Amino acid sequence: MSSMSPNPASLPTSGPAASKPTRISTRNLSKVFGTEDNQVVAVEDVDLDIREGEFVSLLGPSGCGKSTLLNMIAGLIPSSSGTISLDGEELEADHFSPKLGYIFQRDTTVPWRSVKKNIGFGLELAGVDSKTYNRKVRDAIAQARLTGFENAFPAMLSGGMRQRVSLMRTLVMEPEILLMDEPFGALDAHTKIDMHRLLLDIWERQHQTVVFVTHDLAEALTLSDRIILLSSRPGRVKEVFEVGFERPRDAVTLRETDEYSRLFSHIWHSLGEEMNTVGSQ
Amino acid sequence: MTGRSSVVFVQLAIILFTLAVWQWAYDLRPYAKWLIPDFLDPYFISKPSEIWTQLLRLSCLTSFDGTWIFGKEDGTLACLAADDNNLFAATLVTLKNTLWGFAIGVSSGYVVGLLLGRSPFLSSVFEPFLIAFNSIPRIALVPLVVMMFGIGDTSKIVTAWLLVFFLVFFNTFEGARQVDRSLLSMARLLQAKEWQVTTKIIIPSTLTWVFASLTPSISFALIGVIVGEFIGARQGLGRIMMEAQARGQSSVMMATVIVLMIIGVTLALGVKALQSYLLRWQDEAR
Repeated sequence: MSSMSPNPASLPTSGPAASKPTRISTRNLSKVFGTEDNQVVAVEDVDLDIREGEFVSLLGPSGCGKSTLLNMIAGLIPSSSGTISLDGEELEADHFSPKLGYIFQRDTTVPWRSVKKNIGFGLELAGVDSKTYNRKVRDAIAQARLTGFENAFPAMLSGGMRQRVSLMRTLVMEPEILLMDEPFGALDAHTKIDMHRLLLDIWERQHQTVVFVTHDLAEALTLSDRIILLSSRPGRVKEVFEVGFERPRDAVTLRETDEYSRLFSHIWHSLGEEMNTVGSQ
Repeated sequence: MTGRSSVVFVQLAIILFTLAVWQWAYDLRPYAKWLIPDFLDPYFISKPSEIWTQLLRLSCLTSFDGTWIFGKEDGTLACLAADDNNLFAATLVTLKNTLWGFAIGVSSGYVVGLLLGRSPFLSSVFEPFLIAFNSIPRIALVPLVVMMFGIGDTSKIVTAWLLVFFLVFFNTFEGARQVDRSLLSMARLLQAKEWQVTTKIIIPSTLTWVFASLTPSISFALIGVIVGEFIGARQGLGRIMMEAQARGQSSVMMATVIVLMIIGVTLALGVKALQSYLLRWQDEAR
């Protein structure tokens, strides 16, 4: 399975992204958890190339190592072998590049900070002047439709609102690359679609490079340019799908189109095979 | 009658019943010896009326024979000046030492808790010592403390500190170990430097644990000071109690207990108000 192919399966072969420079690439990236005699291979020999401005989803069944893969790219956990590079330079664990923005799956709003101060947390750490701080935070609050909740504490907000706060806290830092770890996994279906709209809206304007981890196929289809399907544990790249739907997309009406249904059932079949593998273990 | 007012009604009834039993029950002893236990003897528990008289006398509002001396020449002021441990002076001394013991205990407990909680090396080295020390009944050390630091204020502050320090230390220690790891990662991903992680995540997050221990801490501080004053003091409410005990004056002891109760309630309410202000973000009920 380990092969150092010059043109990894994950490279886009067509579409607008094909000609853009590669931002993130991984080669033979693996992660093994556990002790010498009780090892679990979470991620095995993953070669990825993420291009400038691309929205890529890492899709796979629960426990397939997709979050582990993302966390290695973010520098949150060290890899066991292989390399990760950002703009051609190799990344190390425990070193967090300012080019990267990360959105957690679980709620990471700071409970003792108001909405405003949560969103401005990164700006405060960077020591930006108060004029810039106020402008950016105000814009972010308006964009996330949190107006009126500036001084509320997270405990008073709904899950969706809290995740909007987290999203905005990362986005006000204007990261070039967004790494998102099942950010809407804990939200109900309606709130989730709301968040898709917000994210698509922002992305249409800023075209960040996004790596989005999810186990929700509909979500991956709605948002991505490319879906990288990972196999069940150990996570390997199983198949890559180009998602050529027209942009800008509408999170609701997109789902009513035929091409959406066709691609959905096509990928669903592949994903289903992996789900079964998990089930039989 | 609404729920709230019936609660108040029952509470008032309990207070009145208790006061009435306290005041008059022993008078019925000749008629119903089997009903009235020995400890209701006013020699031990005094009587509300006597305690009230004693409170007025101790406050120098009345003279020993019960005549009102407030505002009179050679009255309240002269009476207060005659005793350097009068009720007001004693209250001030006890209060001052309590607050000092509280402040020093909370701050030192917090700093040590934070250091040990965030340093695996320091915590492995010191944890067994602290646990061993904590398992000593702290009150047992008071005679030693008084011997070491004398009968002045220092020994009372040290005693209060002994009680408060460990309470706050263990709370902070636990809190420092339980700082939400994803908040730490979040801050580092947002390019926080290590000192910023400490000041903006670790310290606020452990402070919430400390605030939760402030109310018991102030009570502990007061206990520490009073016990210190029992063992040896020139001034303070504990000293008044020991003198009254030597003279068999239960009414003076009871009057002092009532003053202590008022101090305790005031301090606890003050700390509670401070605590709920500082922890206002935890309030989900809005």
